[in-house]
Amino acid sequence: MDKIKILVADDDKEIAKAIAKLLTIENYEVIKVYNGLEALDVLISNNIQLILLDIMMPKLDGLSTMLKIRENKNIPIIILSAKSEDSDKILGLSMGADDYITKPFNPEELVARVKSQLRRYLFLGDMGNISNDSTIVVGGLCLNKDSKDFLVDGEAVKLTPTEYKIMEFLMSNAGIVFSAERIYEEVWQEPAYSVENTVMVHIRRIREKIEINPKEPKYLKVVWGIGYKIEKH
Amino acid sequence: MDTKLRNISRKTATKSIAFVMVVILFTAAIVSAAYVDYININLESLFVNQYKDSETFANEFFDAIYDTYYFTNDFPRNIPDELDYLYYLKTDGLENTNSGIYTKEYFLSFEDAAFIYENGNIVLGENTAPSTITRFYREGNLIMYIAFPDEYMAEKQNVWELERDKLIPIVATIIANLIISLALIIYLIRVTGRKHEDENIHYSWIDKVYSELLLFAFIPALGLWFGAMSELSYYPSYNNYQLNSIQVRNLLIIGLVTAIVTIICGILLLSIVRKIKGKILLRHSITYKFFSTINDFIKSLFDGRKFSKNSLTKTLHQRQVIFIVASFLLVLFTFIFLTFPPLMIMPPILEIALIYWYIKYNNETFGEINKGFDESIEEQMKSERMKIDLITNVSHDLKTPLTSIISYVDLLSKEEDLSESARDYVNILMEKSNRLKNIVSDLFDLAKSTSGNINMNFEMIDLKKLIEQTLGDMEDSIEESSLQIKTNLPEEPVNILSDGKKLYRVFQNIIDNALKYSLQGTRIFIELEIVEGKAIVTIKNIASYEMNFTPDEIMERFTRGDKSRTTEGSGLGLSIAESFTQVSGGKFSIDVDGDMFKVIISFQSV
Repeated sequence: MDKIKILVADDDKEIAKAIAKLLTIENYEVIKVYNGLEALDVLISNNIQLILLDIMMPKLDGLSTMLKIRENKNIPIIILSAKSEDSDKILGLSMGADDYITKPFNPEELVARVKSQLRRYLFLGDMGNISNDSTIVVGGLCLNKDSKDFLVDGEAVKLTPTEYKIMEFLMSNAGIVFSAERIYEEVWQEPAYSVENTVMVHIRRIREKIEINPKEPKYLKVVWGIGYKIEKH
Repeated sequence: MDTKLRNISRKTATKSIAFVMVVILFTAAIVSAAYVDYININLESLFVNQYKDSETFANEFFDAIYDTYYFTNDFPRNIPDELDYLYYLKTDGLENTNSGIYTKEYFLSFEDAAFIYENGNIVLGENTAPSTITRFYREGNLIMYIAFPDEYMAEKQNVWELERDKLIPIVATIIANLIISLALIIYLIRVTGRKHEDENIHYSWIDKVYSELLLFAFIPALGLWFGAMSELSYYPSYNNYQLNSIQVRNLLIIGLVTAIVTIICGILLLSIVRKIKGKILLRHSITYKFFSTINDFIKSLFDGRKFSKNSLTKTLHQRQVIFIVASFLLVLFTFIFLTFPPLMIMPPILEIALIYWYIKYNNETFGEINKGFDESIEEQMKSERMKIDLITNVSHDLKTPLTSIISYVDLLSKEEDLSESARDYVNILMEKSNRLKNIVSDLFDLAKSTSGNINMNFEMIDLKKLIEQTLGDMEDSIEESSLQIKTNLPEEPVNILSDGKKLYRVFQNIIDNALKYSLQGTRIFIELEIVEGKAIVTIKNIASYEMNFTPDEIMERFTRGDKSRTTEGSGLGLSIAESFTQVSGGKFSIDVDGDMFKVIISFQSV
């Protein structure tokens, strides 16, 4: 089987080189480009399966490049940027990026995110097909109500019954914020009294299992001072 | 000793006693004087020892001479049977006497009071006082002898001494009273307005009255007194030194009026003295206020110092001065031209021209000022944008090389043929570059929030819930430490309008800080309460080291309580907490009390 081809677009040659090296170690084939136009050229002539894209690049910036790519391709795009504001992330993700990594990044995390995106793209492509009434899919999360299986980017994750129930409740209402009391009553089926800590601790445990970086969760989010939610994807 | 004396002399009680004494002594002196006046006693006895030498007796003697002369010579009529004196008179064809013996020698034998007139020549008794009687002179032949018998003189001398004995104690008392009063007044003048604590002048309520009013107030007060005295003083008694009931009543009234007037005048005098001491007598007067107001007004019209910095406002001010002066002159000319009506049309026309000129050029200047104002706002916005750009650019420029460093260090660590020591070095590099990453990240968070270039997401949040969530989130690190967290939160939600994500960072940083720097085995207390519509969070912990710094010092960037622990954190935790609290609409303060470190955060509760 051919190696998976990854395109790295970053105007800083050393960074591009380092990323290429990191990914080569993980047995991927990497093509480096240093601006947006080059990236578009390479995409035409190569079968690229994932793009790591810097935003601030000469000639054509990352966001414009992404818009061009999205015109005819739905391959995973991970934005790599020094811009770390929430608004930058939201902008990038809403313009078609699948993930957003801020510089300076943790190399392990970068590799993990690349892997996760590839798994979803390459092997879970048919997951949508197998999905039926008994499965709930949110982004890379997949929950099967019948088998009680829980998959993250296609990989099975073991959840305790309580954790499973919390995820089932939140995923079936993705995007909606629930208070700890509401979650407790729903999951434990008991009247809630002083449960914030209990629920929070469970949320944190789940996050450690399903998130690549639990400190910057992608799916299971705490809305501080209000409650918890699963981000809609 | 001196200061002790000074302290006593400056006591309010001492001063009050002195004041009351002045009033009593002075009133007593005046009442005594009025009493002396009423009992019709002759004051001369105080000054002249012998009755025969007194002015009183001189007048009596003089009267006797003239009476004798007129009674018996010019207007002859019945001579009174009883006379106090002996006389002998002889003119052309007339001779009168009441004395058995009427030789010159006999009359001169009354040495104390004898008067011999013989055709212009006067001879007096050996001991007779040479007072007014020597002025007697008549044309023509006249021989007149007058003498007061010794018994009469002895009796008069007796009364004279009696009166003196009665007067001396009264007058001595009056003088003593006046002297003591004067001394007390001088003392009061010296100490008034002073207090023992300091050397400043302390003013009283009366000093708020303008100086002129204080001075004018003397007039009615003294007018009342003089009026009362003159009204009540003509009630002499002829009753052997005894007072009648009207006089007693009058004396009481005099005493009362004197006391009241003394109090009023005393208060006024001391107030004026205080004002003189404080050098405010003139400044605190209506006249001064009036003239200084006028002065200020005129000055403000022509004083352009405030406007001279800017050439535009300077022009405006100069134009205004010209306008005022010219308008004033034109009004003046209007009055002058009243005498010659045809010319009266001139000033109004000139005034119109002046107004036209004034408004036209002022509008131009205002336009220029507006332009400058707009430019400065634009400049400000530009510099604001530059600040944002600077943060963004510096952030990018720092993060890019840092990304390379972290990536290559990671790659280096993956090399297999590294020597033992090289692997050590790589691990150190890894650790430090990660720390650098945290510092840079914290630094930009702080820079953004302190410069106000941070995106905020305000919504209604429950502060109680947020604290519980933060504690749940940090449970691992809390359990790892040997510390316990004690919370005291209200039952009900505590709603505030704020940015939850930022507040999470605030509490995370504070609790993190408390976990790092608390004494082993102690407890961290987190309390939330609502006081007067404010949600107040207090986080207390016992420091594991001596906190030899002030709350201000610890808030200074990059300062940490324990300087030996420089390997973790960025040292910006509390600064970020403070700055984030402020941008989230709260107040942040730190209190150090012995070993207790206290952070207090307050929000307006909704």
